[in-house]
Amino acid sequence: MQIHLNTYGTYLHVSDQLFEVRRKEEGQVVKQQFAAQKVKSFWVNKGVALSADAIQLAMQHNVDIVFLDGSGHPYSRVWHSKLGSTTLIRKEQLRASLGTEALHYTQQWLGNKLENQIDFIKRLASHRPQQDDYLQERLARIIILREKLISLNGDHISEVADTIRGLEGSAGRLYFEVLSAVLPKHYQFAGRSSRPAVDPFNAFLNYAYGILYSRVEKALILAGLDPHLGFLHRDGYNHKSMVYDFIESFRIFGEEPVFRLFSGKKVRQDHVDELANGVSLNKEGKILLIERFNKHFEEERIRYRGRNQTRSNIIQFEAHQFANELINPDQ
Amino acid sequence: MHTWIMYDIVNDRARTRIAKYCKQAGLYRVQYSVFLGTISAEEKDVLELQIAQEIDEETDKVYIFPMGPSAMRQTVCLGQALDKKLVTDQIKALFF
Repeated sequence: MQIHLNTYGTYLHVSDQLFEVRRKEEGQVVKQQFAAQKVKSFWVNKGVALSADAIQLAMQHNVDIVFLDGSGHPYSRVWHSKLGSTTLIRKEQLRASLGTEALHYTQQWLGNKLENQIDFIKRLASHRPQQDDYLQERLARIIILREKLISLNGDHISEVADTIRGLEGSAGRLYFEVLSAVLPKHYQFAGRSSRPAVDPFNAFLNYAYGILYSRVEKALILAGLDPHLGFLHRDGYNHKSMVYDFIESFRIFGEEPVFRLFSGKKVRQDHVDELANGVSLNKEGKILLIERFNKHFEEERIRYRGRNQTRSNIIQFEAHQFANELINPDQ
Repeated sequence: MHTWIMYDIVNDRARTRIAKYCKQAGLYRVQYSVFLGTISAEEKDVLELQIAQEIDEETDKVYIFPMGPSAMRQTVCLGQALDKKLVTDQIKALFF
């Protein structure tokens, strides 16, 4: 199971080779113990303490420890310092980043992203006949942007990188405008915003993307890929460029559960806290989001390459598949 | 597989250690001398060996009792009983 530590003053340590979560509830100290093999990951927010012994026990059992900031962005993680696989994969990843393959992969991933947006709008349209004209018009524009994007040519990605970003950005603006337009009036929002989000929809979406980033990073590491070595996203000091590239095909996994929470009118004003210049998810909001996200991501199965798979497994499978293609380009 | 462990152990220290092994294997304490949880066949074998080393053959009693999923579904819990979802690993996330 995942254990999310959100409450100020919560302490994670080890007792009898078991993880123990200690916290105060109405003045009383409450302890709960967990066997190491039952825990998959700890998600640690601000104001939580953990002991070196807890980190050691976690590393011995391949338990992932992820640290999140207030908007859900995973700013750090503890994971053992071994490569997930052979260094050959990283060498090939570097080689691919310098040639035409980088462009092909980027087109494939962004093509998937826009296709997911198109599919989602089509599904929305099928239940909203009164908004059909509006939806079909936006849909047509995104379809054109996608065709332009996948038909770009170049010897190196840098020649067309700005064009790619422009096409992707235009599609994104149309897509989020559609998501807002089909929501009830009081939930509507004006485009994307982060750090801080200016409205509840963006606060929920940023948090969902944050969880997804962390899951994609882990999938890449386990497949032996370097999360920092991107194709489209520039190399920067400590930038997880490949995470930002590879996540594109899977952003829908975060968007759909967030959208459903809003369209199903599950989100209330007291799920977010007001900041000076925006809003952030509070504890109740996080619980609402994470439970819905987990159900969508870890439990529901969708048809994928002839089998019923969870979305979580699909990401891992795709990361392995990508690594295999890099080292066996002929297959 | 869902596994119940029930015991009567005379020696206090042996009893404490057996409880610890059960918890470390991933079982949950559902009553003072009763544990229940979902563990693999290997984990069950390891636990059996650990417990066998602690007990006094003359005085102690231990039952290791695997239970199939359909029997588990039919299990009835009343009062302050166990959290069925927790012991069957159906809880995917906990919040503190």
